[in-house]
Amino acid sequence: MSELDSLKIKRDLTALVEFSKIINSSLDLDFILNNILLTCLGKFLATRGIIALKEEERLIVKLSKGIPQNIISEFPKDKINENFFDEKLADFYSLAKIKVCERITSSSDTLGILCMGDKLNGSEYTEDDRDFLKTILNIAATAIQNSIIVKELKELNRVLDSKIQRLNSLFELSKEFALFSDTKRIQRLLILSLMGQFLVSKYAILSLNESDIQILDTKYNPEELLKKIRSIDYLKIDSTLKPETIQQKYPELDELGISIIVPMKIQNKLKGLILLGKRINNTDFSDSDIEFIYSVGSLAIISLENRRLLLEEIEKQKLEEEIELAKQIQQNLLPSEIPKSEVFEIAAINLPSKQVGGDYFDVIRTEKNKLITSIADVSGKGIPASLLMANLQAFIKLIIQQEFELDKATEIINDLLTQNTGDGRFITFFWGILDEKEKSYNYVNAGHNPPILLRNGEIVRLSEGGIILGVMKTIIPYNKKKIYLQSGDMLVLFTDGVSEAMNTNSEEFGEDRLEDLCKKISTLSSQSALEFIKKEVESFTLGAPQSDDLTIMVIKVS
Amino acid sequence: MSDFNCSIVEHNKIQIIKLKGYLDAHTAPMLEENFTELISKNKFNIVVNFKDLNYISSAGLGVFMAYIEKIRENKGDIKLTEMNEKVYNIFDLLGFPLLYEIFDKDEQAISKFLGNKSE
Repeated sequence: MSELDSLKIKRDLTALVEFSKIINSSLDLDFILNNILLTCLGKFLATRGIIALKEEERLIVKLSKGIPQNIISEFPKDKINENFFDEKLADFYSLAKIKVCERITSSSDTLGILCMGDKLNGSEYTEDDRDFLKTILNIAATAIQNSIIVKELKELNRVLDSKIQRLNSLFELSKEFALFSDTKRIQRLLILSLMGQFLVSKYAILSLNESDIQILDTKYNPEELLKKIRSIDYLKIDSTLKPETIQQKYPELDELGISIIVPMKIQNKLKGLILLGKRINNTDFSDSDIEFIYSVGSLAIISLENRRLLLEEIEKQKLEEEIELAKQIQQNLLPSEIPKSEVFEIAAINLPSKQVGGDYFDVIRTEKNKLITSIADVSGKGIPASLLMANLQAFIKLIIQQEFELDKATEIINDLLTQNTGDGRFITFFWGILDEKEKSYNYVNAGHNPPILLRNGEIVRLSEGGIILGVMKTIIPYNKKKIYLQSGDMLVLFTDGVSEAMNTNSEEFGEDRLEDLCKKISTLSSQSALEFIKKEVESFTLGAPQSDDLTIMVIKVS
Repeated sequence: MSDFNCSIVEHNKIQIIKLKGYLDAHTAPMLEENFTELISKNKFNIVVNFKDLNYISSAGLGVFMAYIEKIRENKGDIKLTEMNEKVYNIFDLLGFPLLYEIFDKDEQAISKFLGNKSE
């Protein structure tokens, strides 16, 4: 070996050691590849070089120097097979003026290739050159492999980080939603989480109530969105719709820029939809993204549903409390004590049904020492009926101070009430003035069940009067009628809650039964007679719910 | 209960929001309030300092998405500063660095705002 040769070997060895040190000091693949290529270009005084690494069965150019980009883009993208290196690459080699090419191999596998172009001095690559190249690539292979493994680990870590981040978010939201936050807050957190997680700025959260769809919140134009959503068969959306499906099936939604639709379900029933626009970083929604949206959506919709049910329950309770209160107020409108009289012994009772009802009775002593008795039944039930009843009571109290004749007073009350009704409600009304001196009863019956007058076992019904109150202004004047009473006479005033009381066979108590009953109890005191009628009705309807208010007034003449 | 608070100081007409603690589903609405208030006062140049923020979740990140469009429409911006590695990692995982400028120090963000103005 000549001295020159040994010097050259020594220089090569030093270079190799230096090279090995440098590339093994880093795990950065780009740095390593750059170093390899530069070392080779320097060593062989070449101006072009290229490194391609194997990724998923294909060679991908990772670094090149001195070769124009348009030529690099011609690098074959086929899968590696038997003749890949010999045939497929040959064309590229001539195109890119590649002179030598060596594989980078680890102990088990091909990692990639390194190719070099012409030497600057025009000389050919010698056998020694090739050996040196192989040695360099042997050293490089370990460093490349290490850095690839590290890179893969980093990617894996990132995937794990991302999974952990999602789990954390889900966990945190489920905790927050479970706190019974208010509806707005749940919606907002759902939206914020989706915006933050996927970098979207356009969204819509829709909720389904039975078959109707509503917008809970959106960044789209609400009218336009609702119109478009209502034009499609949204009830059929039972799985996530990806951009391609939306483009095909619902182009009108695609036009709006909606790129994904995720259903929100409870027990497999569609309860809402999440619509998201494009992600700002232009990436697609992956399967795990969709899974996340679905999970967050499910959490939210369950909380929203729970919240809705809770509010409904509270609302129901509130309403029940209000009705209870209304019932109390209504009871307070009825006389708590019936005025005493030497001549007339009066007893009365009102049994309201479950709801607030529209029955009314009153016994008022006037300044002229007469007793005004009245009984009424407002059509329908509930708050409207009870309001009308309170209205009637106020009119009566007002009008008896004016000392109109009874027929004229009825007319005025009718005209006033007609202004206050309007939804087809009406009142059946009976009232009469008991005169203690004359022992007379002067009455008007405005469409009410005619009261029963029982005298010596005979029944007379008091039906003189006119039409029911509240339907139209008085055209035909009401008639009043005065009857003279005798000792032992019994008057029974009642509402249809008595005559129409139903038993479990849907049979009515009936007025005939009531008349027969009155005959049997004619000798009882008014209070006892009242109790008797009440008990009879109760035993008749035993087991059936009381569907209507029930009011009875009994007047005995002593 | 997670701990979170944020304070705002004004510097050269730039609002600096300092975050502290845990920005999650529970506390995100607090930060939202701050943003809506600033926007209602037409203050659109905002620096958010993350130095004392220990954790941020999707809902917390969502707050930044919810207001950025409105702010940029008004020629403003939200710039982020002094994130610790853990918090930056989450921002990075979800791709936020593409959309937001993130600086090491408030001063850098401030001078970016001031520089833009003098252009």
